[in-house]
Amino acid sequence: MNLPSLPVFLFAAIATVMSVTILVLAQVIGPKHRTAVKEMPYESGMDPVHSARQRFNIGFYLLAIEFLVFDVELLVLYPWAVYAGGAERAYPATDHGVFWVVMGFIAVLLVGFAYTWKKGVFKWN
Amino acid sequence: MDAWQVWLEPLIKIAIVIGALQGAVAYLILVERKAAAYIQDRLGPNRVGPWGLLQPIADGAKFLLKEEIIPAGADKVLFLLAPVSILATATVAFATIPFGYFVPWPGARPIELTIAPGLDIGLLFVFAVGSLGVYGVVLGGWASNSKYSLLGGLRSSAQLVSYEIPLGLSVIGVMLLSGSMRMETIMTAQAQSGWWWIALQPLGFAVFMVSGCAESARLPFDLPECEQELVGGYHTEYTAMKFGMFALAEYQHLITVAFLSVILYFGGWHVWGLAPFTEGNQVGLIGAAVRVAVLAIKVLLMILLFMWIRWSWPRFRYDQLMTVAWKVMIPLGLLNLVVSAVAQEFLAPNDYMTRCVLAWLAVGGCVLYAALFSNVAAPEPKRPQASPQA
Repeated sequence: MNLPSLPVFLFAAIATVMSVTILVLAQVIGPKHRTAVKEMPYESGMDPVHSARQRFNIGFYLLAIEFLVFDVELLVLYPWAVYAGGAERAYPATDHGVFWVVMGFIAVLLVGFAYTWKKGVFKWN
Repeated sequence: MDAWQVWLEPLIKIAIVIGALQGAVAYLILVERKAAAYIQDRLGPNRVGPWGLLQPIADGAKFLLKEEIIPAGADKVLFLLAPVSILATATVAFATIPFGYFVPWPGARPIELTIAPGLDIGLLFVFAVGSLGVYGVVLGGWASNSKYSLLGGLRSSAQLVSYEIPLGLSVIGVMLLSGSMRMETIMTAQAQSGWWWIALQPLGFAVFMVSGCAESARLPFDLPECEQELVGGYHTEYTAMKFGMFALAEYQHLITVAFLSVILYFGGWHVWGLAPFTEGNQVGLIGAAVRVAVLAIKVLLMILLFMWIRWSWPRFRYDQLMTVAWKVMIPLGLLNLVVSAVAQEFLAPNDYMTRCVLAWLAVGGCVLYAALFSNVAAPEPKRPQASPQA
């Protein structure tokens, strides 16, 4: 039986239980005097107007999409970095095929990056 | 493989790590307050115990004894889920971080100082779990039903996801040099080559440092909670222990980043002059202890550097923050990636000198470009004057 990831799940379970315990403990121990004013969301001393859940800037959505593109791209590059890296090469030194594929990949990515830049996704004002 | 190895050993390690982390965070907050005080020519906390040494304990007790308030109109489940998720993920990120070399155990196999030593995806795991902290931020900001919280949550989540990309890009250079994502292997590779990767990856380290600072929301990048604009950011509505959990998670992120930067760029446990503590290929008990101490001291110095940075730089404006992430850090990260890849592909595997020269040439090129073409030093464009109203 070889389970290298078992400690991770153990750790995750223990950390979650610990966080929940701290939360519950604080709820039980602390004083409880609820008043309407105390429960009011903070708005610099004013009475809150309307719900806080309102529409917000479209820029955040665009940024999230751009983030997804780049994050997936990183996940593609990581295995290559491990394959091509290290003091001992996993493939013959004259074989540059994978290298050029990766460079082409980055070039395509740069085109998309330049396009979004030009479109003003990264512009904040 | 017996029960000891499968269950007991990880459990003991987990207990030690969680205990050490909580203690370290409590006392690092004291150290930070003291450092801040000395930088600003104050005394800092000095009332509770000698030199304020009991202050963290008093703070912890206060967190427990204060009232937990849930604002009206808040989504109760999400509101409580946010601190739990952020603290749990910040803790779990330590699963693959090594705290030293291995400890030889007489009559048995050596004990590795990592909670999950067999995991090959070490670095990727830390990033994956660490970035789950964004959920805590978004949930906390959304659930509070407060405008400050919502705006703070949106801003912080945008900041966290933006800086995750340069952070991930910068470490590819290290992976190319070490050929592995396991941090034990990365440290061994540095020890074997006799180079710390900072010498070969200066650009990568700069990008890593800036992004790491932003990821742990340290001061030049602490937009999530800039007091003058957003009160407390996403944790405006959190009181008592729930706020304490956010603070704890933030500090654990800081410790993670410090560990990563030391392991990836400063050789981890490696330091020159370790030879007397190594017997051939064998590392004795003393050698293991020395290595743990070296790593701990380096991490502490790195954390002190973060504290120093905090009191040395003014905060960025939000648009500057996003510009730095997307228009400076990502292109720099890509440049570093391409330079490292070319060096790895076309140079002899042990030709570290040429790599070093190449890397610093890239840094020089960037500095030159910034000096010649950037508009950082240019005067601010004139804002349209508000017309005087009657």
